[in-house]
Amino acid sequence: MSVQVEPKKLKWVGQRVRRKDGPEKVTGSLKYMTDYQFENMVWGRVLRSRYPYARIKRIDTSKAKAYPGVICVLTHEDVPGFNGFGIVIPDQPVLCHDYVRCMGDAVALVAAETEEIAEEALQLIEVDYEVLEPVTDPEEAIKDSAPKLHPSGNIHSRVHVKNGDVKKAFAEADVIVENTYYSPRQMHAFIETEGGWGILEEDGSLTIRCPGQYAFRDRLQIARVLAWNPERIRVISNPIGGGFGGKDEITVQIYLALLALHTGGRPVKIHYKREESVIAGIKRHPFKVTMKTAAKKDGTLVANKVVAFGDTGAYASLGGAVISLAIEHSCGPYYIPNVDLEGYCVYTNNGIAGAFRGFGVNQVCLAIEQNIDMIAEKLGMDPIEIRKKNVYHQGGLSSMGHRVTTSVGTWKTLDAAENCELWKNREKYKANPSEPWKKRGIGVATSFHGIGMGFGLPDYGAATIELLPGGRFLVGVCSEDIGQGNGTVFAIVAAEALQCHIDDIDVIQGDTRRTIDSGTVSASRSTYVGGNSVLAAAPFMIKLLKSTAAEIFKIDVDLVELRDGKLWAKVPVEGKNVLTYADIYQYLYEHRRETKVEGHFMVPKAEKQIGNNVGMPHHVYGYQTHVVLVEVDTLTGETEVLRVVSIPDCGKVINLQGLEGQAEGGAVMGMGYTLYEDTIIERGIFKTTNFTNYILPTFKETPIIETIPIEEAEKTGPFGAKGIGEVVMIPIIAAIVQAIYDATGVRINHLPATPERVYKAMKEQGVIYRG
Amino acid sequence: MAEAGVRKKISVTVNGVKYEREVNVRTLLSDFLRRELGLTGTHVGCEQGVCGACTILIDGQAIRSCLTLAVQADGRSVTTIEGIGSPEQLHPIQQAFWENHGLQCGFCTPGFVISAYAFLSENPNPTDEEIREALSGNLCRCTGYQGIIKSVKAVAEKMQATAVSNTK
Repeated sequence: MSVQVEPKKLKWVGQRVRRKDGPEKVTGSLKYMTDYQFENMVWGRVLRSRYPYARIKRIDTSKAKAYPGVICVLTHEDVPGFNGFGIVIPDQPVLCHDYVRCMGDAVALVAAETEEIAEEALQLIEVDYEVLEPVTDPEEAIKDSAPKLHPSGNIHSRVHVKNGDVKKAFAEADVIVENTYYSPRQMHAFIETEGGWGILEEDGSLTIRCPGQYAFRDRLQIARVLAWNPERIRVISNPIGGGFGGKDEITVQIYLALLALHTGGRPVKIHYKREESVIAGIKRHPFKVTMKTAAKKDGTLVANKVVAFGDTGAYASLGGAVISLAIEHSCGPYYIPNVDLEGYCVYTNNGIAGAFRGFGVNQVCLAIEQNIDMIAEKLGMDPIEIRKKNVYHQGGLSSMGHRVTTSVGTWKTLDAAENCELWKNREKYKANPSEPWKKRGIGVATSFHGIGMGFGLPDYGAATIELLPGGRFLVGVCSEDIGQGNGTVFAIVAAEALQCHIDDIDVIQGDTRRTIDSGTVSASRSTYVGGNSVLAAAPFMIKLLKSTAAEIFKIDVDLVELRDGKLWAKVPVEGKNVLTYADIYQYLYEHRRETKVEGHFMVPKAEKQIGNNVGMPHHVYGYQTHVVLVEVDTLTGETEVLRVVSIPDCGKVINLQGLEGQAEGGAVMGMGYTLYEDTIIERGIFKTTNFTNYILPTFKETPIIETIPIEEAEKTGPFGAKGIGEVVMIPIIAAIVQAIYDATGVRINHLPATPERVYKAMKEQGVIYRG
Repeated sequence: MAEAGVRKKISVTVNGVKYEREVNVRTLLSDFLRRELGLTGTHVGCEQGVCGACTILIDGQAIRSCLTLAVQADGRSVTTIEGIGSPEQLHPIQQAFWENHGLQCGFCTPGFVISAYAFLSENPNPTDEEIREALSGNLCRCTGYQGIIKSVKAVAEKMQATAVSNTK
C-alpha cells in the first residue's frame, strides 16, 4: 500500500512553503521550555568540578542543606538506579562519586526557593579533591605511560578499513602528497542554552520538559538512572532554541528528574547560564588527521592512507560513531581502490565532545580536499576536472569498497559549480580586490554525508495521522524540530498525500505521550525517515476515509474515489454524492469510532557491512559542492568570505525555503568553523567562557550566498528526498582554505584560519604587500 | 553600591500598560520582564550583551535588557516583542520574517524583529550594507542571516511603497 502522486501534480512538494511555526516564533508567543515559570516553582543548579582531573575524597553537603531556602542537595548517594548516561556507552556519571574527569563534571545538585539561593548553596558544598595531572593530548593519552581515565584505557574506539594494496599503489604512483591537518573544538552555540523543567505529577508519574533531539531515548536514559519503568516518565522535547547535535545527548533531563523527586511535587527548573553551557556542553571533536594520497599522471586517485585521532574528552557520548563516520567519509565521494584508513577516538580531560552537525566528516573533508587540490596543482589539472574524474557514480564502488545503489549527485553538483557565474568569471572577480593590499582567491570543494544510522544500527520511523473536527489532520512524528523546519516538511508530505491544504495540517513533535517513537533528529535523517513515516501512515488514513465514505454512501469501497480532497461516489447514491473530510469526521465521531492511524518505516540498509565496523556503510548519502570567493588582508591576515555558491544534492527538494535556509545557515556555520571558532582548553581548563571570547559569524561577516539545488531523486525517499542538514556545512571548509591559498599562496592546515595563523604563514613565505 | 536586597518602587509602562512594582535594585530588566511580568518573548542567550536575543525598546530606542537594570526603566516606556504584534495580527516586519524565512529555531527572532523595528524607524530606506551594520549586534546560529536581510529589505520596500501611495 503506498501513496502515488504524479510529479506533475505535486502541489506543495518543491515549493517555497512558509514555516508552520512562523507566526508564533516571530511574535515571541511560542513558549520554549526555558520560558516557563510557576508560582510554586523551585530553581535547580549543578555543582561542577573544580579541576579537570581529580579524585574525590569527601563531599559534605550539610552546610548547604541547612541554608535557608534550600529544598534539597543531592549527590551520587541519591541516585536510585544506574549512575551514568551516554548515548552509546553510558560512561558519564550523573553525579561523580570517585573521580572527576573534566571541568563539566557534575558533583552535586541543589534545589532552592530562588536561583540566587541555589547559587549561594553551591558555594557551601564542601568537596575535597586529590588533584591529578590531566591527560590533554590524544596521542600521549594512548601511550601505556598515560594515566588511564577509564578502566578500559584511553582508547574509546579504533576503526580500521583496508582495501587493495596501498603499499604497491604508493610505489607505482606518479604523485604523492602527505599532510597533517588540525581542526578546532567548535561549539554549537545555540542561542537557547540548556534548560527545562520537571515535575512529579500527582499520579506519581514524572514529566520532564526539556529540549532534546530524541525524546524516547532521553526517557530511557532518565529511567535507567531512576530505576523506573520508562512508561512512568513523559518527556516533552519540542520546541528547541537550536540544537545542531548539541542537544542530542542528555543535557539537564536527568538532573531535573532527580530533583523533582525531592521537591514535594513542586516544579523544578534549570536554565544554564552561557558560561555553564560552555563548560558542561558537548563540543565538536578536535581532530588530527594525517593523510597521504596518491594519483597517476592523468589524475586518477590510486591510494589513500589516513590516521586520524579524535579527542572525545572525558566521556564517550557519540565519539565512537563520530570517528567511524569520519573514516567512512575520509576518502570523499570518490573511488580510490587502495586505502588504509585508521581512526582512534581517545579519552582526555578536555571537556566532552559529541554529536555536532557534520559528525566527523568536517574534519576529514578538509584533509582529502586539500590533498586533492595539491595533487591537481602538481599535475597542472583543473580542481573541478580532477574531482569529476574520480567521483563514484550511482551503481559504482565507493572507496569503502561498497556498491552505492542509491542516488549520487556529486558529478552534477561539480558540473553546476563549473558552470556557475562565480566560477566562470573567477579571474574577473579576483582581479578587483577592495584595497591594493588585499588579495582575492576562489576555492571549490565537494563532500558527502550519510543519511541515517548506517549498517547494523536500529533505524526506524513512525508517524500518526488523526482526523480532527472540521476535516483537519493532526500529524504526529516524534522527531523534533530543532530549527531546520522538519515539522513543515511533515505537513507538506501529509498535505500532498491527503490532497488537502497545508493550513489544514497541524503537526505535533517531541512528546513521548502524544507521538510514537520515530528515532533521533540527527544524521540528516528526519526528512527521509519522518517523511517516509508520514507516507506510510497516509494510506491507512485514505483507507479510513474511503471506507467510511462507502458506509455513508451505502456502496462498495471500490466505488469511492478520492479526488481533490473530497470523497466521490462513482455511482448514483441516495443523497449527496460527495463528502468532505469534515463529513467523515462527523460520522466517525457520532459512531464513536477511532479517527487515528499510524504508519511505520524501516530504513533500508546497504547489503554488506564494511569489516566489523558498526554503522558502516550508509545506504543513502547527501552530496554537496561549494564555491567560495575570499579576500585576504595581507597586512593583518584577516580573511573575508565575500561570496558562496552552495550546490546541494538532497534528492527531491520538499520545501525550497527550508533547503535554502539549511544551505545558508550551514555555509555560515562552516565559515565560522574555518575562520574564527575554537573553544580553547588549556591543561583541561576552559579559556573560552562566553561569546565575548568565542567568535561567531555576525551579519557583517556573512557572505552573499546563492543556493543551486541538484535534485538527484532517491527512489527510497519521500517523493525522492534524501537529507541535507549536515553536508551543507562541510565542503565550504576546504573551499575557503583553498581560496586562501589561491589568494596568498599559503596553505593553512591548522584551523581555524585566524588572522594570526594566516599572517604568520604569509610572513614565513614572504607574501607581503609591497605598495 | 546599593546593597543586595535593597528594594525600590518603580513605575514603568510596558507595551502601553503601566505597572507599579517593587523590585530588587539589582534585578535585570530582562528578568523583570520575563519573571515579574511574564513577557517571555524576550529571550536571554548570553547574559552579557553579545547575542542581542534580549533586545527591547526603551522610549523607542533598542537596548539590551540583559545589560539594563529594572530600576533604569523607572518612568519610561518599554516595548517588548509582545507589543509589536500577535500571531493573529502580525506587524509587517513579523510578516516579512515569516514570508522570507528570516527564522529557523526562532529563539533569536524577537531580538532581530525589535532591532529591525528600531532601525527601520530611523532609516526606512536602507541599503544592504546599512542593514548588515545595524543588525550585526544580533546573533543567529541557524539562518546564516540571508533570510533576515531579505525580510528587512522586503518590509522596507513595502513600507516605501505604502508611504508613496499614501502621499499620492
